[in-house]
Amino acid sequence: MNYQDEKNIDCSGFEEHLTDYLDGVLERGTHKAVAAHALRCPLCHSLLNEVKAALEVCHEIAVPKQPLTKLEARILAVTMPETAMPCAEFEDYLTDYMDGFLPAALFHRWERHAVLCEKCTDLPGEVVRSIAACYTYKMDELPLPEGLHAKILQTTIGTENAKAMKASWNSQIGEWIRSWSFPILVPQFAPVAMMFIFAVFILAQTISADGSISGMYQKSFELAEQTYQQGAGILGGENAQQNPNREPVQGTFVNEGN
Amino acid sequence: MEAVKAAAAVNGADLVRRCRAGDGAAWEEIVSTFSRRIFNLAFRFTSSVEAAEDLTQEVFIRIYKTLGQYDAKQGDLSNWLMRLARNLIIDDYRHRQRNPQNTMAEDVEEHTFHLKAVGGSMQKEMERRETARQVQEGIDKLPTDLRTCVILRDLEELSYQEIVELLKIPEGTVKSRINRGRIELAKILRRMRVVNM
Repeated sequence: MNYQDEKNIDCSGFEEHLTDYLDGVLERGTHKAVAAHALRCPLCHSLLNEVKAALEVCHEIAVPKQPLTKLEARILAVTMPETAMPCAEFEDYLTDYMDGFLPAALFHRWERHAVLCEKCTDLPGEVVRSIAACYTYKMDELPLPEGLHAKILQTTIGTENAKAMKASWNSQIGEWIRSWSFPILVPQFAPVAMMFIFAVFILAQTISADGSISGMYQKSFELAEQTYQQGAGILGGENAQQNPNREPVQGTFVNEGN
Repeated sequence: MEAVKAAAAVNGADLVRRCRAGDGAAWEEIVSTFSRRIFNLAFRFTSSVEAAEDLTQEVFIRIYKTLGQYDAKQGDLSNWLMRLARNLIIDDYRHRQRNPQNTMAEDVEEHTFHLKAVGGSMQKEMERRETARQVQEGIDKLPTDLRTCVILRDLEELSYQEIVELLKIPEGTVKSRINRGRIELAKILRRMRVVNM
């Protein structure tokens, strides 16, 4: 039947050609007649939209969303048997898989085995639920048995009434000093600290007039002043020989009292 | 979990200083803060309330004797104390495995749990108790080395590195034991119908 004239098509004819119309396989004239009827008849227009929407939904659900289907895994297992993974190896990598530490190639082999092997397919889920059960168990702590607290106090400090046991002043002060004592943070610094103390001791004995640290400090001031005056004199053109009273600063200084 | 939170809030250095000085109240605070956590750890290894009680007591005696060695600069008190407790409990567990006649473990079936109700219906509470009992029973069935690693990883939540340091075995061995232990535990719990699809 040739529908050259749009008047020749009615609602039953529209329904008859609907599938072919949507598939785009009708002759040009017939196609135009069906389209014209859809525009003219509101019922058929609505039917056309419904069928279109239904087809779109069917196309969407036909696309597989899973990363690896059983079919795909089976094809790969048949075509690439060398990449199949034995059950023992699958179990060895289970924690690494869950931690996300498996390299890509191994990851895909592992997943393929999980999909294909009926014996292993439930194992990952069971391990996850088993860890979750452990976590639930961890959250529910047992209470302390009655009397254990007192028993511990009795065996350690000899009394159950711990609050009555006060620290003596001596031990409190001792602990306080201990907590404030200056520790040598790096053990390697210990010889350096020793050398520093020894150097201070030697300098105090040789430079200082009275052997004290303050005497050493006083003498170093004098020497600094003397050095400054000598330097100032040289800069001012003053000859050291013109001032015989001024002695040049020597490298070693001896206790003036000696 | 409450015990863990309580332990985290303790000012360790101050408590230890007071203990060393002979302050009984400070020692009591340490005992009450950490005893529940240590007792629970001991129970997971012994599966017996009496054995766990004795072990907790021993751990505290050792802690009391070694308080002088605690250095606040090397970590907080909670870490130091729990490390010491884990070492002692694992040593005891290994010793009992080598000498089974010394074991004080009772049949876990006979043990009654006194789990704290945190809300929910009585039926849910009963289910929780039952799950906890079955998980402990499943853990008890694991071989010694796997059991130690599973408890440390999935119940104590230690990192791989911490387990390596505690057990003094290579990291690869730790990982493999955790993996094997988890799989074995899952299979045991599946047979017991604790984990089902």
